[in-house]
Amino acid sequence: MPPLIPTLPPAASSIIRTSAGTARCVAQLPQQVPIAASFSTTASRPKFSKARRLFRAWERMEGRIYRRPTGDGPQYLAPRGVETVDRPFPLNPHFKSTKVLDDRAREMIWEKIMRGGETIKAVSAEFGIDIRRVAAVVRLKEVEKDWIAKDKPLAKPYAKAVLSMLPKHFIKPNVSNPPFEPINELHVHPYTMQQIFWPTSESRHFTREDAAKAFHPTLLSADKRVPHPELVQMEREVHQGRLLWDASERFKQNVMESERKAAEKQVAKAAYEEKKTTRINTERFEFRFKQFNAENVGLRGRSRNAVGWRYGTPHDDRSKGHQIKIPTSVP
Amino acid sequence: MKPRRFHGLKRPLTSINTRTHNLPVSVFTSSTARSNSADTVADKRFRALQKLRQSWNKYNLYNIFKAVNPKIGLGTTQTFFQQKWRAKGMLRTYHGEHIVERKWERMFNRRLLSVIDMDTESMAKMDGSEMAAGRGSGIDQRLRPGDKRTSRTLTPYMQMTFAPMERRLDIAVFRAMFASSARQARQFCVHGAVKVNGKVVPYPAYRLNPGDMFQVDPERVLYATGLPKLPPSDSNQPSSHAGENEATEEAVEKEAEAISEEESEVLAAKAEQDPDTTDAPEAAPVNMKPTRTQIQDLTAQAKAILSEEPLSLDLGVGRDDKASSEEAAPSDPIAGLTDSELKKLEERMEEHMREEKENPHDPSKPYVTPWRPRNYMAPFAFIPQYLEVNQNICSAVYLRHPVARKGNAEVPTPYPYETSQLAFNWYLRRR
Repeated sequence: MPPLIPTLPPAASSIIRTSAGTARCVAQLPQQVPIAASFSTTASRPKFSKARRLFRAWERMEGRIYRRPTGDGPQYLAPRGVETVDRPFPLNPHFKSTKVLDDRAREMIWEKIMRGGETIKAVSAEFGIDIRRVAAVVRLKEVEKDWIAKDKPLAKPYAKAVLSMLPKHFIKPNVSNPPFEPINELHVHPYTMQQIFWPTSESRHFTREDAAKAFHPTLLSADKRVPHPELVQMEREVHQGRLLWDASERFKQNVMESERKAAEKQVAKAAYEEKKTTRINTERFEFRFKQFNAENVGLRGRSRNAVGWRYGTPHDDRSKGHQIKIPTSVP
Repeated sequence: MKPRRFHGLKRPLTSINTRTHNLPVSVFTSSTARSNSADTVADKRFRALQKLRQSWNKYNLYNIFKAVNPKIGLGTTQTFFQQKWRAKGMLRTYHGEHIVERKWERMFNRRLLSVIDMDTESMAKMDGSEMAAGRGSGIDQRLRPGDKRTSRTLTPYMQMTFAPMERRLDIAVFRAMFASSARQARQFCVHGAVKVNGKVVPYPAYRLNPGDMFQVDPERVLYATGLPKLPPSDSNQPSSHAGENEATEEAVEKEAEAISEEESEVLAAKAEQDPDTTDAPEAAPVNMKPTRTQIQDLTAQAKAILSEEPLSLDLGVGRDDKASSEEAAPSDPIAGLTDSELKKLEERMEEHMREEKENPHDPSKPYVTPWRPRNYMAPFAFIPQYLEVNQNICSAVYLRHPVARKGNAEVPTPYPYETSQLAFNWYLRRR
């Protein structure tokens, strides 16, 4: 919108207008016609451009359905003549809009873990939701409950509107639900991206374990790298003839055990860190001392974790660009 | 290294059109002196100028709708260098056009992440030795033409070219639908409205780590995604600025008629809005007011009746007398309702009251109240899989880096595979 600048009367301003038609129009209008700027010698656009006209036509006809949300699911742009449900960009068939968890489903996950005391992995396997997502759902729900307890206003109308525009995944209680997403996904390790020629005898039983060793001596096999090794174990037991309920009970125990081990590991790590630091409390500060080896500066003399600096290593502080002072992690 | 000095966006366009306004969207760029015979060529050039942005703007929606496959390198005499240059320029208009090319080049990584779904059942049944059978890649299976396995779905690695961009805080905020454009998300960061793991992070270039939780101030989110308020002068006074603009527009249109542009005349006759703004004028508060008062009146009446006290009944009657004839009609049968109907009424009233409390009318807000989503928002509504969003608290968790799978890639990009491939090749730095 051009700024409203007090202008000369139209008779004077029409002098600079070149087109006769424009001048005629100006003469018909009331006194306060704003022009872009008083010093501008360019006449304003005399008519709608074709592009603008086409846009207006689209806005009235095809684009009208996108103006207000219908309130029952997504409305993505449909390329001409193609019925698409989950493709927000008509030209890109490789990007699909996937479902999001419904608010009740999130509540149910929170209930299961925080009230029911189930493990994250067990809930993940039960509903077919990624382990990290389950953990995130619980974390976010905790914050939400905290807000409710503190009487902090939630963005309810926004949540309602956004969820009405997205494809949603519902979870029914006490029924076996279809999985939300693939949960046992294996990261494609760069070591496994190479083609190697590995001669072995025909009689050799060449398993995933051997394949991993062939790629790299330190590479773990797929069985150890998948997020749900316990689930594979359960399937194996079922395949060997164990009853399903028994196998699932054992699965739950295994999962509980692995989660307990992970927690213990974390506690041990924290304890080790604590053991290394000496805390001295004064009136104003708490001083924390740690043992460091100043000689330990890495190959190039400026290791990231080093406190020291090897004599002669050039300083980085005058080099341009890459020394951006943005934190790389927020604890 | 000459080409690196021009970023994809800043490369001078060679005199196709004279730009009259410096709008972010190129809908309005076309030459004023245009003959009908040059239409097709101009259209082609115009399409080449269209820039798709990370924005919920309606013009952007139109551009995405109208976008055609650029088909770079097909049937042209362009060199490979030219193809790559054009492709990366197009992609950079969408992916972080507010980020300097030099910065993006530092972020770029040629390692593209992908995952494979490992079926637990088949993993349990087999130990991998079946893959070593035959000539070393599994026993050949004769596939019939109708078999699904004959059609190989590829993993679109090339669509992951801009995956490192999705790590940026501002773009993640936009992807979580907390801002209406990446630039607005950037502003939120800079203004200190975004927290990461509970700490204010004013750096839009902060790169999220897996497991980071980011929160945006809900007021800002409501402002960004809500229907924008019009300036107060627009709605009523005919002598206001917008009115004048319309007047000029009508004048313009009259002239257009004189030039016998019938179509544009017809369309502009209906024009109610300054075409330079995205927001249509809507008299929302005016429409909502009577319903709100009605609701309040009805709740008061219902409460009065339900408490079943003679005093309150008197009060209710008094209210009825004061109320307008329209409201008096529904209030009369309330007295003669059965218990179940009363209960239903009460429930409905409670619901209304809750809605009223959650989404109140508040003129002090910078957006239209009661809050409503902005126009043309629905076609842009998607949340990528690497984010887990809780809309109630306007917070999200960056679960992991985006990955490619068989058949789909998690990086949202409006361009087809081939274009991304050329752009990826550009950034490999072997030109």
